Amino acid sequence: MPNMVTIEWYLALSIILFTLGALGVLLRRNAIIIFMSVELMLNSANLLFVAFARYLSDLNGQVLVFFVITVAAAEVAVGLALIVVIFRTRHSINIDEINLLKG
Amino acid sequence: MNTFALAPLILVFPVIGILFNGLVGRRFVDADRKSGERWSGWFATIMVFAAFLVSLSLLGSEVANGYHIEIIPLATWINIPAANFTVPWAMQIDTLSVTMMLVVTGVGSLIHMYAIGYMHGDPNFSRFFAEFNLFIFFMLILVSANNYLMTFVGWEGVGLCSYLLISFWWDRVDENGKAMNADAGRKAFIVNRVGDFAVIIAMTMLFWTFGTLNYEPIFAQAVEFFEEGKAVTIGSATFSIDAVITIVTALFLLGVAGKSAQIPLYVWLPDAMAGPTPVSALIHAATMVTAGVFLIVRSNVLYELARISDVQIFGFISSPELVAYTGAFTALLAALIAFTQWDIKKVLAYSTVSQLGFMVAAAGMGAYVAAMFHLVAHAFFKALLFLGSGSVIHGMEHGHHEVAHDHGNNAHHGEEKFDPQDMRTMGGLRHRMRVTFIVYLVGALALAGIVPFAGFWSKDEILAHGYQHVKFVFLILAIAAFGTAFYVGRQLQLTFFGKPRSEAAEHAHESPKLMTIPLMVLAVLTTIGGLMNMPFMTRTISESYNGHPEGIWLALEAWLEHSLASFEYTAEGILSLPKTPVVISPLVAGLSTLLAIIGLVIGFLIYRRQPKTAEDPDPLQKTPIWWFSILPLETLYMKTIVPWFKRFAYWLAFPVDWEFWHNFVHDRLIRDMFVSFSTFLAEVFDPLGVDGVVNGTGKVTRKLSQVFGSLQTGYVRTYALSVFLGAIVLIIYFLFLAR
Repeated sequence: MPNMVTIEWYLALSIILFTLGALGVLLRRNAIIIFMSVELMLNSANLLFVAFARYLSDLNGQVLVFFVITVAAAEVAVGLALIVVIFRTRHSINIDEINLLKG
Repeated sequence: MNTFALAPLILVFPVIGILFNGLVGRRFVDADRKSGERWSGWFATIMVFAAFLVSLSLLGSEVANGYHIEIIPLATWINIPAANFTVPWAMQIDTLSVTMMLVVTGVGSLIHMYAIGYMHGDPNFSRFFAEFNLFIFFMLILVSANNYLMTFVGWEGVGLCSYLLISFWWDRVDENGKAMNADAGRKAFIVNRVGDFAVIIAMTMLFWTFGTLNYEPIFAQAVEFFEEGKAVTIGSATFSIDAVITIVTALFLLGVAGKSAQIPLYVWLPDAMAGPTPVSALIHAATMVTAGVFLIVRSNVLYELARISDVQIFGFISSPELVAYTGAFTALLAALIAFTQWDIKKVLAYSTVSQLGFMVAAAGMGAYVAAMFHLVAHAFFKALLFLGSGSVIHGMEHGHHEVAHDHGNNAHHGEEKFDPQDMRTMGGLRHRMRVTFIVYLVGALALAGIVPFAGFWSKDEILAHGYQHVKFVFLILAIAAFGTAFYVGRQLQLTFFGKPRSEAAEHAHESPKLMTIPLMVLAVLTTIGGLMNMPFMTRTISESYNGHPEGIWLALEAWLEHSLASFEYTAEGILSLPKTPVVISPLVAGLSTLLAIIGLVIGFLIYRRQPKTAEDPDPLQKTPIWWFSILPLETLYMKTIVPWFKRFAYWLAFPVDWEFWHNFVHDRLIRDMFVSFSTFLAEVFDPLGVDGVVNGTGKVTRKLSQVFGSLQTGYVRTYALSVFLGAIVLIIYFLFLAR
């Protein structure tokens, strides 16, 4: 049978994942969970890249995924380092309490 | 060969003296009293003497150059082409002005020399000489001017110097606290001013009629206009030239009354005796007071025209007649007042008024030469008398000091009031002050009119002229001459003869040489002064002159004729100047000498026995003559004009100036309006308006910043939301809106 899973399905999945990730960034208090949501957004974009690479038979999409993964990894490293430092001083990673820039 | 170019120097020398004494004289005097006084005083004297030498050279130049009139222009003073009004600053050197210059500088330098001794020890020594030189400067401007306005500058200037010098000791206060010297100075100035006002009006009329103020053009045009019978339009009124000339000459008479102390403006002269004696001698005997006579003689053409015109003042008297009668009555009145005076200088002051009356009467009768002759002779003997009286006063003061020292206690000093000028405390001074006595006697005899002194010749000429032309004036002047002799005798007797009536008189002594030498020179001049215009001098001064048919020459008359245009015009038949008789009339001469001798003798006799002491009454006090001691015109003025004037001035000062102008206009209208306006600005406009704007800006900014500040929640999730929303906006834009 012809492939029943068309590009729209991947698109929809990607959008749903992205939306969940965005909502997680906006609505969750725990910093680590926010990072996880950011990763979710990035991964949804990766998914879409690969899907289109397959669909358009262009390998550039997959190359771009490598870049994104690398950047995500670096970002996580830096972000987690920041969270560790914050935790050392504040003993909490509830982002609602990190409001010293309040004007 | 002439020295006319040197003429401006007579004005320059006194100015140098003024600058020296005014600017640095005080330093000299303060540094070393003795030599400083010598520097200051002699510098001033030498400046005047230098002017005298230049005047002598001008005399020589006049003689050598045919006695013509020389005009020396110095500068243009006023030049208004639109009004055709030009007044130059120019000197007119003619025989008349040279005569006056010689008198002013000659007698002036002698008096300067005397003043060095008289003012010794005065704290304002150099200021005195600066003001004295200033007076000489202005007087020389007066006599050397070639136009009425420049003369008037000198006229006013000598009035100013008279004020300055009379009030020289302005801080002296008498026992009632009145500043008598300052008052006297003010009185002189104000009374003079009344006369000046008349002169200004007269000058304005002259300008409107003749278009110029220079002497020569005015006189020439006056004769021309008079012959044509021209009508003159001044403003909206039309006058005949006769009327204009009469009005001008009458106004000049009022000015002369002010300056030369005639009725009704003589009241300042006796008060002026409050000034130092050299001032009285120079200004109020020899020079300033003669300025009036000089003015009349200068304007002789105008007076002669008025004489032959038909115009009468008040319908019954012509202008020159008015002059003559004013002079005559002044002479008589002043002589009578002099009978009642105790102060030695006041006697001389009223005597001056009286003698000026003689001069003015002579000028009014047309005897201009006789008036000038008497002017010069009077300058000599009156200056001599005043300086002599100063010497007497000095002697009395020294005597008083000696007496006070003898008694040895200062408690005596302030107790009795001692007036060194009061003749009642004098007496017998001829033994103690011999030189002064002799020179004073010479002056007194000259004043009384005793042969051969100068006073006899000049007074006799006036009397002879009066006898020939206006008998009534002759009568009054003869009585005045008798009165003159009487008060002269009285004064001599009270001062020099008899027994001393006070201790001060007993201890009086002679004055220093610096003071007696000028006295001696003046005495010599008084003695030989008569030679100036004797009726039987046969030597002529100018060979080329041929006017007198009798061939008998009067030197001064021959000399002055060249400046007095009336003589020329009379020769041409246009005017008719009354001629002074050239031969001595035995009747008049005999009568006047007789009157003089009788007057002197009676004066001597009456005062021989009394008063014996200083407190005795005057023998005349029981007679009606003593009525003149209340000083008729002065009392009248003090009771009427002065209180009215004071009330008017008070009214101007308080209701008008203070209450209306100051309180109402300035304070209420201007100041209060301004204050309320600025209060409004300060309290209403500034806080609400300006501050409102400024503060409002601040408030708005703060509100805004609050608003913007509230964006900074520090809340991470809000920031994340805004990033998210911004991303969505951009995506929508790029997807749907950007084509």
